[in-house]
Amino acid sequence: MVTIAAIDDSSLQLTFVLFLTVVVITLFTALLTAPQRDEISEFYLGNRTMSPLRNGLAMCGDYLSAATLLGSTGLVALTGYDGLMYLGGTTVAWMMVLLLIAEPLQRTGKFTLGDTVALRLPRQQRPVRVALAVCILAITTLYLVAQLVGSVALLTQFTGSPSATTRTLCVAVIGTFVILYASLGGMPGATVIQIIKAVMLIVGVLFTAGWVLYHFDWNPNALLERAADRSGTGLSFLEPGLRYGGTVSNKLDFLSLELAIVLGLAALPHVLMRLLAPRSSSVLRRSVVWAIGLVGAVCFGAGILGLGATALLGRDTIESTDRTGNASVLLLAHELGGSVLTALLTCLAYLTLLAVAVGLTLAAASSLAHDLYSEVIRKGRASETEELTVARLSGAVIGILGILLALVAWGANTATLAFLAFAIAASAILPTIIYTLFWRRFTAKGALLSLYGGLLSSVLLAVFSPVVSSAPASFYPEVDFAWFPLQNPGIVSIPLGFLLGWLGTVLDKGPAEDSTAHEEFEVRMLVGADD
Amino acid sequence: MPEFPPRRDDTPTFPLPHIEHAPPSRISDHPEFHSLRRAQRRFGTRATILSVGGFLLYVLLSSFVPAVMNQPLFGHLTIGLTLGLGQFVIMGVTAWCYVRHMRTRVDPLARGLRSRQYENENRRTRPSAPPQGAGQPVQPGARGFRTW
Repeated sequence: MVTIAAIDDSSLQLTFVLFLTVVVITLFTALLTAPQRDEISEFYLGNRTMSPLRNGLAMCGDYLSAATLLGSTGLVALTGYDGLMYLGGTTVAWMMVLLLIAEPLQRTGKFTLGDTVALRLPRQQRPVRVALAVCILAITTLYLVAQLVGSVALLTQFTGSPSATTRTLCVAVIGTFVILYASLGGMPGATVIQIIKAVMLIVGVLFTAGWVLYHFDWNPNALLERAADRSGTGLSFLEPGLRYGGTVSNKLDFLSLELAIVLGLAALPHVLMRLLAPRSSSVLRRSVVWAIGLVGAVCFGAGILGLGATALLGRDTIESTDRTGNASVLLLAHELGGSVLTALLTCLAYLTLLAVAVGLTLAAASSLAHDLYSEVIRKGRASETEELTVARLSGAVIGILGILLALVAWGANTATLAFLAFAIAASAILPTIIYTLFWRRFTAKGALLSLYGGLLSSVLLAVFSPVVSSAPASFYPEVDFAWFPLQNPGIVSIPLGFLLGWLGTVLDKGPAEDSTAHEEFEVRMLVGADD
Repeated sequence: MPEFPPRRDDTPTFPLPHIEHAPPSRISDHPEFHSLRRAQRRFGTRATILSVGGFLLYVLLSSFVPAVMNQPLFGHLTIGLTLGLGQFVIMGVTAWCYVRHMRTRVDPLARGLRSRQYENENRRTRPSAPPQGAGQPVQPGARGFRTW
């Protein structure tokens, strides 16, 4: 881990004050806008009549995590071209959401993904709902832990390797805020913090990127030249292969990672939940287009930040502060704007991971309360008040679970955990979404096989990968049971998830679902019901 | 602006020939429904393959034929970096085409079918009890028409 404190004390204090101010203000706003009545639709979906721009901002806020702001920027700073490709994938992922998933899902959905699948497979909806809830819980917990671990990593930039007390305090405070936002504020509260975060993120990143370009007289070529000069690797900084070059397995690893990023987004539970919020599909369409534009702008700006960090600071400074490059944005901010800009961007990073964590907790809580409790345990007989109480409680439980796991795994690499969550989402949930929407013959057995199979295969492959053992950066560096050579399981587990879904359906000899169920589903998906 | 005005206003005054002669019992049998499905699905699949597949191809090219990607175009901007920037352009163009395609090809069809569905339901509900089974989580048409 990191040993040197990157940034001085004054900006830590400033960050602390700024962060608390923003959090307290947004918390009050969130509580003010929280669901007034015991209505589950308001708790799950929030304000359904928001304008496309605000929806787009909220989607952007849900999607862009601290891994993008700090991790990907650091990768650009250290590996140049390869890092830039990460940012490209982060943006391209939205195309699939816009073109295939968003509108059909919104027309057929109600509160959770389970509702859409239940509409399509009404007879055997309960086991499928359970499977979906299990997968969603696995993905959100992993991603939540990644965000909370990120908060410790961020603290490390200021204080050096933190003591156990500081670490616990940091995770506990952030985790408590997450629980408060998610359980009390529900979706309306989460929307407030997402929008505030997204606006701050876009302004902060684009402003700093502009400052970097201004430093080079708005000449991108000068920026590239200087970055290559000070990268310590010369022109190969601007060529592929610095991080994932050399062996074929390295190259496949990169493809696997890009596959998980590009396909995983369309199956991330908190993003899916956000897609259901707009009431009409034309608003949803414009919202997603806004989100693509905003995400693209932030990723573009983040690329400039990464190049700028190398060009202005040099690789040695960045690497000696933090081997993974996570500190590059903050170091760059310190170089450009002193402690004020550093404090602003740190506050932004904290807000970013807080907001993503809130979205995740809410998605997990809604899945537990709606799919598992209301539809499976109570078989649809739970009252709204009851379901709402369960949702609030499960928000708290998931938050506490996340805090505990984050305290155990505090040394883990945030980006690795996040990309693992993406891979699980793409291999477990995406096949079910695609088949449910577009394949007439899809059955519940196929859904179960692809959900559990995708989840198990991606988790098992990750356990037997260099992430867990054998490599110096893994959890157990001393032992070696890593027979799977790639860091990211996506390239195997995603096709496997699709294959299992197909296999389960073809081999399903049980009683077929009503053909009218599919017809009704298709009519709703294409024509819409109440738009 | 509406190409398919809500027909329920004029049904009482005179018979509508295509509905009276061949009443499509279900919306899903309607030929317009099939062309709607085709229009939406075909464009979505093609555009996804173009944009997502194009990006994955770019990743593969960068990994396996770096010699081509490293040829400089202007200054330090290599072919690879230009293609990377091109991804953003492709995305913008695809999103714009999608919005235009949906607005001109898909939305009018869906709107027409929706008004027909509404009309069918009205005809069915007028003499008898509520039409929908219990399996449907949201009652279609419960809110009636919104503006278009």
